[in-house]
Amino acid sequence: MSGAAPALRVRRLRKAFGPVVAVDDVSLDAAPGEFVALLGPSGCGKSTLLRMVAGLVEPDGGEIVLAGEDITRVAVHRRNLGLVFQSYALFPHMTVFENVAFGLRRRGVGPPELGPRVERMLELVRLGPLGARYPRELSGGQQQRVALARALVTEPRVLLLDEPLSNLDALLRDEMRVELKRLQERLGITMIFVTHDQAEALVLSDRVVVMEAGRVEQIGRPEEVYRRPATAFVARFLGRANFLAGTVAESGPTGIVVALDGDRFQVVAVPRSGLGAGQRVHAVIRQEAIRLEAAEGAAQRPNNFAATVVFHAFAGQAHHYVIQLADGRELEVATPGAAAPLARGAHTHVAWSPDDVILLPAGPATSGDAW
Amino acid sequence: MRSGSGWRLLAPALLLLAVAFVAPVGLMVPTSVRPYVPLVGITGGFTARHYTRLLTDSYYLEIIGRTLVLGLTVTGATLLLGYPVAFFLARTRSRWRNWLTILVVFPLMLNLVVRTFGWIALLAQNGLVNQALQAMGLVDGPVKLLFNFAGLLIGLTHIFLPFMVLVLIGAIQNIPRDVEDAARVLGASWGGAFLRVTLPLSAPGILSGSILVFVLTISALVTPRLLGGPTYQVMSTLIYDEFLQRLNWPAGSAQSLLLTAMVLALIYVSGRLARRTGASA
Repeated sequence: MSGAAPALRVRRLRKAFGPVVAVDDVSLDAAPGEFVALLGPSGCGKSTLLRMVAGLVEPDGGEIVLAGEDITRVAVHRRNLGLVFQSYALFPHMTVFENVAFGLRRRGVGPPELGPRVERMLELVRLGPLGARYPRELSGGQQQRVALARALVTEPRVLLLDEPLSNLDALLRDEMRVELKRLQERLGITMIFVTHDQAEALVLSDRVVVMEAGRVEQIGRPEEVYRRPATAFVARFLGRANFLAGTVAESGPTGIVVALDGDRFQVVAVPRSGLGAGQRVHAVIRQEAIRLEAAEGAAQRPNNFAATVVFHAFAGQAHHYVIQLADGRELEVATPGAAAPLARGAHTHVAWSPDDVILLPAGPATSGDAW
Repeated sequence: MRSGSGWRLLAPALLLLAVAFVAPVGLMVPTSVRPYVPLVGITGGFTARHYTRLLTDSYYLEIIGRTLVLGLTVTGATLLLGYPVAFFLARTRSRWRNWLTILVVFPLMLNLVVRTFGWIALLAQNGLVNQALQAMGLVDGPVKLLFNFAGLLIGLTHIFLPFMVLVLIGAIQNIPRDVEDAARVLGASWGGAFLRVTLPLSAPGILSGSILVFVLTISALVTPRLLGGPTYQVMSTLIYDEFLQRLNWPAGSAQSLLLTAMVLALIYVSGRLARRTGASA
């Protein structure tokens, strides 16, 4: 966040549906031209948050400020925001042209200007010749583009997208991701994007807001939330990871040693403040951070353990393994797909760097000062 | 679906239609062109007299016109009264919703004759409605609400309102909320979104509800007979009298066939209309 005034500022927003608190005290900013993803499982409140910004749901408390103007109590149709729905919500009784022209007509844009603006927008989303078609005559991807064009043509201050890609099949989704990102970079428009797909959030956004049960768990750049998750929930939700419960045995300037429960293994992590000896922690290791090493000689290095392969599956760009340590503990491991696979039952060693160990305070925290 | 299996699915309904509708109507065609001699009955021969009288005699033309106007007025009234109710019931999240829907249908559970007698008690010269109007000082003398157009309009609108509401609820529920919300986000006020999106998308429901109520109205017998009395005739009461009072079956047949033709023409026209407005929603 640079010095520029945020395009969108949400302060302490709250919404409850009866006894269920959907959005609980959420604050966030989006800089002009920024792509912000709201990421979380279904029912975490991300869609409600988006609909409050759009004006379709009235907040119980808090404020929404759009480019310096408090719009919390401004009626939906006066907010000049764009919204793309998961269902696209195209007008089935209007042609593609009329769908896109709808917002312009509501703003009193007349015939000399209307046609060219709609045509230009259809061109931009590569739907040029389809203006006379009805939505039902288009494929899912094309309908998606109409929805995008309809939301963008009025040049909204912020474009809100509610799971816009989740109704597309996998191949088309990847294509639309790239297209959406390019469109955003080209138009320089601020986008708030709701998704439950962590890969989508990481690929598309400048910043990710991870939500759970109506609250913000963490806000950060994609690398940040992935590599340095603030909570166990974030660590679990973004990518697969192994959780190893233990207690901090030593915490010094050279590193932190965690004695895993069962007392047979130690995991070494890079030093960090806030974790004293005796603190219960989870050592979290991403599955792709773990290397499989055949050589026995490395056994003296930290975080190196003898292991047995108990499951292997090939998934194209990666091999997925489940390996078992000497104490029966199982770890999930992903190695590059180009590597030669290990057969089930093979003896090997697993190793990971202290840099790749994420320590999350667990249980009764003694100095629960996370990151 | 294999060709042919569609016909097999339709067969029971088609058979019923043939036996209960096509055959009786077909049988009326020869009857309608037989001469009728009073005190003698149906005689042999051919005559188009029943048709020409129906389409030229001002007495019959007035009844035909009255029936059509009544059908249109009742349809319009049920639409105006029913749409807001249906819209509310289709959109509300209230837990009373099911009870309110039952309340709408409730009049259908009462016997038609009982309901109609209820209206006679209310609409009579010294009935409740007239007493209330006079007590409020809105009128000087009693207003004639029975045995005329007003009486039939009130009675039939009440009876057919549930049909309109039920058809409209289904149609409005089929309109995704997102589509309305999209219109509002794009800058349409609530009224604008309703007029440009909700209303056009509920057109198929408006059309089928209107056909249903119109057809039911112009063929209704009991209510027009009781609320219209013996002299204020519509086509259905006319046909009834022709067959059962005057025993003039040929004239009654001609009148029945005309009524059937009117209904079929209406369904054909509205079908064309539905296709033109793209009843795709």
